[in-house]
Amino acid sequence: MNDQKPFITVDHLWYTYTDGTLALSDINMKIFDGEFLAFIGQNGSGKTTLSKCLNGLFKPTQGDVIVDGLNSKNTPIVQMVRRVGYVFQNPDHQLFNNNCWDEIAYGPRNIQLPENEVKERVEEAAKVVGLDESYFSEHPFFLSKGLRQRVAIASILALRPKVIIVDEPTTGQDARQSIEIMEFLKRLNEELGHTIVIITHDMPIVAKYARRVVVMGKGKILADGNTRDVFRMSDILSQTFLEPPQITQLAQRCASLGFSPSTLTVEEMLEQFYQIIGVN
Amino acid sequence: MNKTMLGYIPNESPIYVIHPFVKLFFLLVVSLFPMFIAAPEWNLLLMISIFLLMWWSRVDMKILRIYVPVAISMGSIIFISYVIFSGNHPEYHLLFKFLAFKIYWERIRDAIVVYFRILPMIITMVFFLSTTRERDVIVAMRSIKAPFVVTYVFAMALRSAGMVLEDFQIVRQAEQARGFDTKGKSIPYKIRKYVMYMIPLFALSLRRSEEFTNALVARGYAFTGPASKVKRADYILTHYTFKKLDILLTIIIGALFVAILIIRYGFGYFGLNTSILTIWASKFIG
Amino acid sequence: MSNVIIQIKNYSWQYMNSSDLALRNINLEIEEGKFIGIIGPNGSGKTTLAYSLDALIPGQYNGIKQGEVFVYGKEVEKYAKGELQKSVGVVFSDPESQFTAMTVEDELVFGMENLGLSIPEIKERLEWVTDLVDLEPLMLKPPYEISGGQKQRVALAAVLAMMPKVMVLDEPTSMLDPISRKRVFEVLAQLKKEKRNTIIVIEHSLENLIPLADRMILLSNGELILEDETQQFFQNIPLLLEKSVYPPGVLLFFYRLFEAGYANSVLPLTLEAAENNLIKIINEKINGVNR
Repeated sequence: MNDQKPFITVDHLWYTYTDGTLALSDINMKIFDGEFLAFIGQNGSGKTTLSKCLNGLFKPTQGDVIVDGLNSKNTPIVQMVRRVGYVFQNPDHQLFNNNCWDEIAYGPRNIQLPENEVKERVEEAAKVVGLDESYFSEHPFFLSKGLRQRVAIASILALRPKVIIVDEPTTGQDARQSIEIMEFLKRLNEELGHTIVIITHDMPIVAKYARRVVVMGKGKILADGNTRDVFRMSDILSQTFLEPPQITQLAQRCASLGFSPSTLTVEEMLEQFYQIIGVN
Repeated sequence: MNKTMLGYIPNESPIYVIHPFVKLFFLLVVSLFPMFIAAPEWNLLLMISIFLLMWWSRVDMKILRIYVPVAISMGSIIFISYVIFSGNHPEYHLLFKFLAFKIYWERIRDAIVVYFRILPMIITMVFFLSTTRERDVIVAMRSIKAPFVVTYVFAMALRSAGMVLEDFQIVRQAEQARGFDTKGKSIPYKIRKYVMYMIPLFALSLRRSEEFTNALVARGYAFTGPASKVKRADYILTHYTFKKLDILLTIIIGALFVAILIIRYGFGYFGLNTSILTIWASKFIG
Repeated sequence: MSNVIIQIKNYSWQYMNSSDLALRNINLEIEEGKFIGIIGPNGSGKTTLAYSLDALIPGQYNGIKQGEVFVYGKEVEKYAKGELQKSVGVVFSDPESQFTAMTVEDELVFGMENLGLSIPEIKERLEWVTDLVDLEPLMLKPPYEISGGQKQRVALAAVLAMMPKVMVLDEPTSMLDPISRKRVFEVLAQLKKEKRNTIIVIEHSLENLIPLADRMILLSNGELILEDETQQFFQNIPLLLEKSVYPPGVLLFFYRLFEAGYANSVLPLTLEAAENNLIKIINEKINGVNR
């Protein structure tokens, strides 16, 4: 993976808000094709700000963000969003057409695609998110939260961005809905080759789905690596008021018995248990 | 730094000593001054006094720069409407002709008078908003025993304004994230598209208002019935006392207003015929 | 001995614009002083049930009600406006929309003023609640200067200041980050210790809820599926999984051990208990029971 050219390069990025608050300090990172990343950190640590710099919504105060060879400072947003899609946490912030069809078609129409291609993309995106045709003429406002979120994702998918950033995919969702949305993102990643970035607090979800974790605190990157490696760094995680998932904590507490401090799931815990007591 | 409704003032600002009621009183009464003063030089003096007050309150004067383009465009509109569209009077002095339009001195003079009446009113409002927090407005209203429902509705309006502004930012970003770009498009196009912003804002407000009403009910607030007749303790007022300074300032502001009325109608002074500027300018007209 | 203060009898509710019942034939009794957790998938009727306890349903919503909801022996619809709120307080899930005043202090005082309390009483309760929830540094701040987690703690304090005997919390931490979540639960734990209120919490964050709950209720599709003491409740893991409720990882792990015969049916409800159990089980297995 390291021989590839990165799709996104962030080079000494600093970002200050208009009222003077420093949001990001000297961020350096690379994102490659096909990754599944999580940005984690306490509220105000800069996760959302960094994500918005990645798709051109925010322009760096200093430093560069290069996406697919384009520098975000001098590339129109319209070009950037075709490469990096951003799904907002609350679908209500972005749904405003009278029916789901127009909603999903909104993006492709904004980038001036011919109508027949718009049609193709809308149908494709709807299929990928599992949105049935019968919803095409429905008004998004009256759909359930889960469906609204799917329409929001479909409307981003219709732009066919390589990278998709999803802000808090599981907040407010119950267990089944959370798994559904994450499995869906996993399919986008494994079957369709999208790079997925999730911004979240949900540590068990991060443990199960993200292969790479970027830990942010007070505008800086505190850790950036493999999920297993990062979850061992309890002191770094606690700096940004996070803890590894409960099952990982149990494994870490029982490390003296032979459990790996990088245990991520219940299945792994069970495997190790059987190994330790000498059962096949 | 503390955030006020329009900007920031530092913690050490002397304006904090003053009771919010006095600030509100100042806004309401001083805004009326220009209505009784026609002479532009006096209104200009009023405006400068308010600038001085802003500076004394440690308001960041840079915010005034935002209003310069507004002041200029407003001045131009007033000037043009008066010069071109206002009526004729046989005693008007004709200055010159511009294309098909006759430019009369009196119309220019009237435009200047109106302009210098509006400016101090706006500046007084800006002064008030830059030195007052939302809570102060509520305290001011409650200290004069305005009905609770009125003050509360006002407070809710202020609160929702803030939330709508925040939402607006996010909605704008969400649209940009889907390729919405108004660069190089015509004005009608831009207007049409911006109207679409209203829909998510509306949807968000609707959803919030349901929860908001539930929260009100859950806190025991009732708009009707015996529960609404409860005598409220008005706890926040316990933090604010009317000091001698506040009473003095209130009297001064009131007295100034009465003085202006007396001078204007009793002595006829602030009018146009006694205005030094107009007298001086008229000499040039002949 | 504990007495029953909430009785729900054959209660069903259908929202006006819905073709389906939101709650079906609920029968439930809640004793004073208990900490009750209500769980279930989204749409199962948890919020509807919570709102029914405070007469928000049917007060604020149109629909068809069947059956009865009794709080302190009186049906909720029979209470005068503003009466029931003296006994039942509700904390909602969105910290933003339930912040009704211009500063934190005003927010805390609002409910107390509505109750008609005097200034000395307000002052006293204000001090108590500010201390309990640790809000002193935030007192004069307006809502836009504090975080979502802080707002939610303010909401909790504002309801507490009214000293309702029953506190209902509807997903109070769903919009909060892990640390804010913990802080809210810390306050709840403190309240439980002081045994001042009956506390009913609807939550998805089971890890934090389980150690505190005396009894748990499972709702699914408007029906009350399961209601029991916490320990017994979580012996029904297959049922929970079937109804799309995922117990916390540690609990699930021990359930699998129980299924395989390595652990007994008393599942550990806290991380500490889990650690102790696991060490014990492994030591016994490796060294033989005589150790």
